[in-house]
Amino acid sequence: MKKNSNLIELVNIETVYEGERLPVIYDVNLKVEPGEFISIIGPNGAGKTTLLETINGLLTYSKGKGFVFGKEIKKHKSEIRKEIGYVIQNFEMDPLAPFLCKDIVMSGRTGKIGTFRFARKKDWDKVWYSMGLVGMIDFANRPIGKLSGGEFQKILLSRALAQNPKLLLLDEPFSNLDYASRKQVETLLNRIHEKNNITILIVSHDLNFVPSRCKRIIVLEHGKIIMDGSREKILKSEIINSIFNGNGGKI
Amino acid sequence: MIDFPSTLLITSILGALLAGFACSTTGAFVVRMNLSSIGYLMSHAAFAGAAFGLMISIDPIIGAIFFSFGISLVLGPLAEKARLESNIVIGFLFSFMIALAFIFLNFIPGTAASARALRILWGSIFSVSTTDLFLLSIFSFIIIVFVVIFYKELIAIMFNRKLAESSGVNTRLYYFAVLFLTGIAVSLSIRIVGGLLVFALIINPTSTAYQFFFDFKKIFIFSPIIGIVSCLVGFWLSLISDFPIGASIVLISAIVFTIAIIFSPKRKKGKSKIKKVLA
Ligand SMILES: Nc1ncnc2c1ncn2[C@@H]1O[C@H](COP(=O)(O)OP(=O)(O)OP(=O)(O)O)[C@@H](O)[C@H]1O
Ligand SMILES: [Mg+2]
Repeated sequence: MKKNSNLIELVNIETVYEGERLPVIYDVNLKVEPGEFISIIGPNGAGKTTLLETINGLLTYSKGKGFVFGKEIKKHKSEIRKEIGYVIQNFEMDPLAPFLCKDIVMSGRTGKIGTFRFARKKDWDKVWYSMGLVGMIDFANRPIGKLSGGEFQKILLSRALAQNPKLLLLDEPFSNLDYASRKQVETLLNRIHEKNNITILIVSHDLNFVPSRCKRIIVLEHGKIIMDGSREKILKSEIINSIFNGNGGKI
Repeated sequence: MIDFPSTLLITSILGALLAGFACSTTGAFVVRMNLSSIGYLMSHAAFAGAAFGLMISIDPIIGAIFFSFGISLVLGPLAEKARLESNIVIGFLFSFMIALAFIFLNFIPGTAASARALRILWGSIFSVSTTDLFLLSIFSFIIIVFVVIFYKELIAIMFNRKLAESSGVNTRLYYFAVLFLTGIAVSLSIRIVGGLLVFALIINPTSTAYQFFFDFKKIFIFSPIIGIVSCLVGFWLSLISDFPIGASIVLISAIVFTIAIIFSPKRKKGKSKIKKVLA
């Protein structure tokens, strides 16, 4: 079947939040091949987060059909999630939270290790490795609530990487990072993408930060994919400039 | 102080110790999983259930387990739906449970009715039977096994439920399990600590431990230790002062919590360092 050649396939997807009448994203058709590196951009409220969470099944689509790894999302949620790393958009962390960074990174592997099983040495190796990748190894024994926004974001990224995912969904991973850290994380993403043949979807509302290996851009507005194409084509287009008020296009 | 037969004393001490362990261990999870208000309601449901048990002349513990299980079935799904006004529902059910409890207590048969009713209200350590001890021991064992086996899932959920779910954890199952275990801990301790105060024993020791540690493993170890110590000291206080046992235990654990807040290293702002710099 053709379906299996796509890593993600969404057909006429529509997602409604519980208790709402109108869908937040609709008529979404998306095919992603293994190994693609895609940026999803759009203004606040466009539905970017909703799209990511529809892909990993945290939100259930109300119409259409969705497949990840050739499996229908609705039916195989927990199975496909083990292979998807997700970095959530900023959330408030209680400063007194009683968790150490290394345990948080390890928690990314929870599903992968499996119920009734314990973390082994190879799991910890993966944790140290992915903390090293984001340059946070010195923070292993620090309480998670005592990190700066950027440090926290890097821990979340290494949590997702520790999962050794086939698909990485990143929701605004740059939002709290300073220029140097952005560069560092961008280089890291490029490297991971190059080495591991991983598929990456990265959400951002900042046109100025599309990682260099990212060859495809999807533009969301008001819940619809209004553009989907090569990086060059999208960045040159007029619509982009009107959406982002002349703020974009300069890469 | 009166003289007690030593077996009675030992049974009571063991009862206090096990109730302290059971409640404060479940508490470590209840507090972090934001189940406090549901747990609070559940302890009152257990109280109503115990009163119901007394009314129809069965073991109040059975009534308590039955009621708290019912509540976790009703409220488990509620905890899922952020959109439903769960606080309103909890407030409503809370007063409803108290009303039920008082009605049941009113109908307890027999002449010693009021004494027995007061016992499940305030707690009475000398009504602890060996069956209670046996059940509490089994429960303590089960909760240790539960935590050891599902430690990584529980940590993932307590950090962030959405992220846990996104890495393939069926978070709903664990919420239910924790609610259910809380119901049992409350039901088994109700005769010792009393229905009105048992929930303090779930919240206070954990909240105390939270003031000192940033590593959940330590909280999981110290929360029961603080719970047990509070129970034993509370027991001693109630012996020498003739306070009701539940009240003394809660009093002690509240004092410990207050002291913890005052001396919590988490709240210190490193004054000494600043002084050094200035000098
Ligand atoms: N839990 C919810 N219930 C109802 N509506 C929601 C919910 N979460 C988001 N929405 C609505 O869905 C729309 C899209 O939200 P979404 O979070 O996907 O936007 P986004 O593109 O990620 O925006 P941002 O750039 O601000 O992160 C918004 O209009 C928002 O109001
Ligand atoms: Mg968003």
